[in-house]
Amino acid sequence: MATQMTDGHRRFLQVLMSHGIMEGSVARTLHRDCCEIHKVYYAHDKLDDFINVVNIHLQPFFMQIRKGMSEDDGRTYYALVNLAETEISKMASDYTENELELFRKTMDVIIISESGFASSTNILNLADQLRTKKMKKKEAEQVLQNLVQDKWLSERDGEYTLHTRCIMEMEQYILSNYQDLVRKCNICHSLAIQSQVCETCGIGMHLPCAGKYFKAQTEPHCPHCNEFWPHEIPEINRPDSQVPSSAPRERRRTSSSGTRRR
Amino acid sequence: MAQKRCSKGPGLSQGEDLAADEDYALTQSGSQVQRNLERLSPAQVDQKVSELVQYLLVKDQKKIPIKRADILKNVIKDYRGVYSEIIKRAGRILQQVFGLQLVEIDPKYHMYILVSNLPRLEVENLKQDDCTAKLGLLTVILSFLFMKGNAAKESAVWEMLRRLRVDPGVRHEVFGDVKKLVTEEFVRQKYLEYNRIPHTDPPEFEFQWGARAAKETSKMQILRFVAKIQSKDPKAWSTQYNEAAAEEAAVGGLSQDTSTHGDTGGASQGARRRTR
Amino acid sequence: MSEDAGSSGDSRQDSEEEPGQGSERAKPDGDHTDRRMLRHQYRQLINKVQQNREDMLSSRSNSLTDALQEANKLFSGVSQAREAALDAQFLVLASNLGKEKANELHSEMTVFDSPAFAEDLLTFMGLNRLEGEENDSDDGSIASGFLPNNAWHKLGAEAERYFRRSPSFHYMLGSFKADPPVPRQRMERQKRRAGTEEKRAMPAQLKKMEESHQEATEKEVERILGLLQTYFKDDPNIPISFFDFVIDPSSFARTVENIFHVSFIIRDGFARIKLDQDKLPVIEPSHEDEGRENDPNAQVRNQAVISLSYQDWKDIVETFEITEPMIPPPGVSQENES
Repeated sequence: MATQMTDGHRRFLQVLMSHGIMEGSVARTLHRDCCEIHKVYYAHDKLDDFINVVNIHLQPFFMQIRKGMSEDDGRTYYALVNLAETEISKMASDYTENELELFRKTMDVIIISESGFASSTNILNLADQLRTKKMKKKEAEQVLQNLVQDKWLSERDGEYTLHTRCIMEMEQYILSNYQDLVRKCNICHSLAIQSQVCETCGIGMHLPCAGKYFKAQTEPHCPHCNEFWPHEIPEINRPDSQVPSSAPRERRRTSSSGTRRR
Repeated sequence: MAQKRCSKGPGLSQGEDLAADEDYALTQSGSQVQRNLERLSPAQVDQKVSELVQYLLVKDQKKIPIKRADILKNVIKDYRGVYSEIIKRAGRILQQVFGLQLVEIDPKYHMYILVSNLPRLEVENLKQDDCTAKLGLLTVILSFLFMKGNAAKESAVWEMLRRLRVDPGVRHEVFGDVKKLVTEEFVRQKYLEYNRIPHTDPPEFEFQWGARAAKETSKMQILRFVAKIQSKDPKAWSTQYNEAAAEEAAVGGLSQDTSTHGDTGGASQGARRRTR
Repeated sequence: MSEDAGSSGDSRQDSEEEPGQGSERAKPDGDHTDRRMLRHQYRQLINKVQQNREDMLSSRSNSLTDALQEANKLFSGVSQAREAALDAQFLVLASNLGKEKANELHSEMTVFDSPAFAEDLLTFMGLNRLEGEENDSDDGSIASGFLPNNAWHKLGAEAERYFRRSPSFHYMLGSFKADPPVPRQRMERQKRRAGTEEKRAMPAQLKKMEESHQEATEKEVERILGLLQTYFKDDPNIPISFFDFVIDPSSFARTVENIFHVSFIIRDGFARIKLDQDKLPVIEPSHEDEGRENDPNAQVRNQAVISLSYQDWKDIVETFEITEPMIPPPGVSQENES
């Protein structure tokens, strides 16, 4: 297989650079367009190979196009991520030092929470405890807004969780830095920030994974300890449906009521 | 050469002194670089090239031109002897992998920017964020400057922008402190030049295109933008069209590949039509 | 210009320019006020023309003609040199603008008309002219109406096509220095709720290790505890630096192992770590009666996970000038200790 990059690859990379993260069907359309514009070989089912060529060339710069799944709706996403902390990576200028500290504290709260969400009140209270430089609530609100806009956090009804882009880039970091605080999904074995948790044995599952796993079962049981699964089973939508579903919001409500109870 | 510059004596600013020192350290002949290169393992050099590519990408986040002095301090460090080779290879990789071009915009202070080699397309959807909105504002200003003879008084620019509900004295809901954005951020990014008009009291300032603007777009492109907005043929503005076409012919002759070679920045290209 | 500033400036100038100060004062007040008013109106007119240069130049606008007519009206009231000078100043300004306007009309097929350009930009940005209030601006030349929120984004997206702007790479990982992790609250809480055994609280890796190497680990932990107690007995008044104790200057891996083993000593309450006056961690054995045999539930267990990168290790070795390990590698310890 050819490993040479073409303008098609370069354009794909540039557009992904601009967006940071892209939903699977959007990426597939982009793949087609890039190949057509530059008249290079195109096969609709070869997106991952196409990306792999780019990844080979990105390796020396600790960059990678990663494929992942959204915890909200189970759809596939592609994100351009940074892989390493280096002297140079620390020169990023998108956020100031105290803004980054606020982000990390927010991440702490989200990960420690049972639900995978942190309320804006909780986060804003962190603003005047920052070590680097205190922040006014108003400033903190603006920072949160920027973090949402840049797709590091996502927000629903005043509660924040990690955006899929953030999870895709930070998965290894989170797993090693919050070792015993985070769960891996029992189905797909990746990091799970929002999950349903077995009240008996403590294993967790992504909502879309649970939805798929329990789809055919009339009475759901924990795949690990076989106890009754006490949560509402999320309905799954077709992985690539074009219509954004309102289902994630519904599911979130049921999941949090399920997991937050003591 | 460095000797000559230093002999200019006390009038030199600190910055110029440093620039002169660097030039001294970096004026190596090809064979010198080659000899220096042989003392290093290919892996070491590759590593530096990768670091430089990474550095240029990170520094491009804010769109402020990257100074050679900073590259030397933050990346090259002990590899000064092969600097020219490293920057050449980094430029090549940016082109081969990312479709980006490394352009030197200021031959005196050696500042670099990245521009895309791939023309943007009608259908293409890049992410729309506040930077997109800022580019909209910038394009309006660049259009105004070009159409008005490559330079305009600050007061005239604001008069124009006020019609678009952008007032330097009023906080804008997208741009925030718009006076700061236009007279500081765009200027630091080298999209605009902002200079005091001599012998004005109270001081008056005027805007011209900055070197980055000349690299990222062109007079013809901006004329096309104006024509599209006003639903006219670009040729309708004959003076501007002729000027843009002349520039296009000149740049076209140089071909696309001007990467890293010191071609004079665009700021000086904006000769004032009105004063002729 | 405020009324105060204007009048004080005028009075100063009056006294400078006109020598017959006394007679000036003697003139009727009305005349003096009228002249001041006239000068004020001239200055306003000049100011307006300067501020609205583009509008004056626009082929669509009659502003320049209007301004000239206004000046004509003012001129009918002029009787003295000072006012006449202002009139002359205005005329120079107006004729320059007129010349420029004529030049542009003459030399080009189409003149770039910036007010028209602005109008077209507003249209492109989706200005809703119907919903706007009729008189939301005092300046009649500025269009009224409602501009949608994404107006500038829309224009920017169009502008993007005329640029070769490079997209930039943004990331979160690696933009900050990784830090020691946060305390383990969640698992503790969940453990209590689920009523499972204590073992679950242990990090997965440690658990795995404990199962396979349990014996070896226990032996090593005991050996290190023995070393710690020996060092401490030798000099009970001097606290032992935690770094000095665990860092092996010749091996990063050994250092990590040491920290791992010491963590059991701490967990089981045989020793504790605290900060000295320099805020540096020191380690000391607990008194015998505080050991875990007594009452494990009565103790507050404070666990923290330490992250130590290779670079950190190197830095510490250098900063604290550690040249020899306090915990010799197992196996060689006996020979070395003599």
